[in-house]
Amino acid sequence: MNDKSTWEFGTRQVVYGAIGAALYGVLSLATNYFPLPAAGNVTFRPAVAVLIFFGAAYGPWVGLLAGFIGNTLGDAAMGWGFYWNWSLGNGLMGLVAGLAMPLIKDFKARGDIIKAVGYGILGIAVGMLFASVTEKFIGGLDWNTALVGYFTPAFLGNLVVTVILLPILMIAFAAVVARRGR
Amino acid sequence: MLVTWKYRPRDTFIQRLDPRTRLIYMLCIIFALTLPDIWDYRIIFPLFLISLTLYLLARIEWKDVKRVWLFVGVFVFFIVGLNGVLSGRGGPGSVTNMFSPTLFNLPLKIPFTDIGWDVPITVAKLWFAIIQIARMLTMAILALPIPYTMNPNIYGTAFKRMGASDKISFTMDLAFRFLPTFGRDFMITVDAQRARGYEVDRLKGGVTERIRRLSPLIVPVVMQSTVTGEEVIDAMDLRAFGTAPRTWLKELQYAPRDYAMIGLGVAIFIACCVLKWGFGIGGFFVPDFFTNLLIG
Repeated sequence: MNDKSTWEFGTRQVVYGAIGAALYGVLSLATNYFPLPAAGNVTFRPAVAVLIFFGAAYGPWVGLLAGFIGNTLGDAAMGWGFYWNWSLGNGLMGLVAGLAMPLIKDFKARGDIIKAVGYGILGIAVGMLFASVTEKFIGGLDWNTALVGYFTPAFLGNLVVTVILLPILMIAFAAVVARRGR
Repeated sequence: MLVTWKYRPRDTFIQRLDPRTRLIYMLCIIFALTLPDIWDYRIIFPLFLISLTLYLLARIEWKDVKRVWLFVGVFVFFIVGLNGVLSGRGGPGSVTNMFSPTLFNLPLKIPFTDIGWDVPITVAKLWFAIIQIARMLTMAILALPIPYTMNPNIYGTAFKRMGASDKISFTMDLAFRFLPTFGRDFMITVDAQRARGYEVDRLKGGVTERIRRLSPLIVPVVMQSTVTGEEVIDAMDLRAFGTAPRTWLKELQYAPRDYAMIGLGVAIFIACCVLKWGFGIGGFFVPDFFTNLLIG
């Protein structure tokens, strides 16, 4: 299942990009009920772990597509509208997490899980920082609100979710890979 | 098994529109409200009425959408509305920064402790909650009818004819098609776990434990989707997907009504941009009649 051609964009990336986007959209909808404290339109999303997982398992293009399209679908369906910077921020989150793909050989090995979580946290930092800083220019926020009111709760919420759920998803995925043989 | 949206052909104005027209119009309204950051009721309320008219023109049966409306209603009215009233956040900074008369103070306490504070409920926060709800519904009720009134067979064609590449069009097409399938899978998983005694509504423990206990809901859906993906890839590879430019079976043609709708959407978008950036109209403010209504 794990093609090591990191930047290839073929059938596999098209299909898993779509699946990741649909899953991220559905699970975001299901968990949009938890607004984070101090950030009015930033919600607590356990689905972020799924996005990071798709990046780590299938590469940066899948992470980018799943994050961008999934966030757009979830936001549009709930009436948030289209915030290109948050969608792109989510896409960047998946893309950076996807850079871990060539480093992962065994999805249940402790070292590989730590690598995936590490890249996932880096992706969350890059993606949420991009979205929060662009919000400063788009929404006219001050630095304090952008960094403390938006970036910090979004980063911490996503980080906690990723640290807890990503290892569980990776260990489950290792069993699926072993059973299918690819 | 791929589950489809509850699409049904109906002889309505909305379904006679080209799918591209509907997507372009929706994007125009979303961009018109979000890019220039419009929070003025004089713009939002008329746009809400147009969106509502288009929704009613779709003539979707209530039994098909009542669960979706319940979901949207709980989210928009209780979660976002309540959040707006209590915090005033999620919109322009002026909601919390501007001077506004306080209607009353709401005492909030952390359960089982004496720690708490008084949250001032201001006229501005209350008006913001109303505007926020109307603004979100203006966009949501344009997106909501799409699954019920747009033929799933033309999602990909619509994106392709809007200029996207074959691969991106197919990604969008598949994402739209997989949404209801995974939604159904998620609900089946929730029901199956409930049958095993899993208490979905009563997740106990701290934040960490609650997140960890979500895994019996998330993991089966995600793992099943990875297996489904392999089957879809095999099917697409067997049809030589990606080896040459694709042809698309469905042809789309714009009619005069499509040009009219697109023209309306573009005009609304340009008007919002000009009003906000050219004349400074469109930002958040509390109208006098609302303040007078509440405090006399």
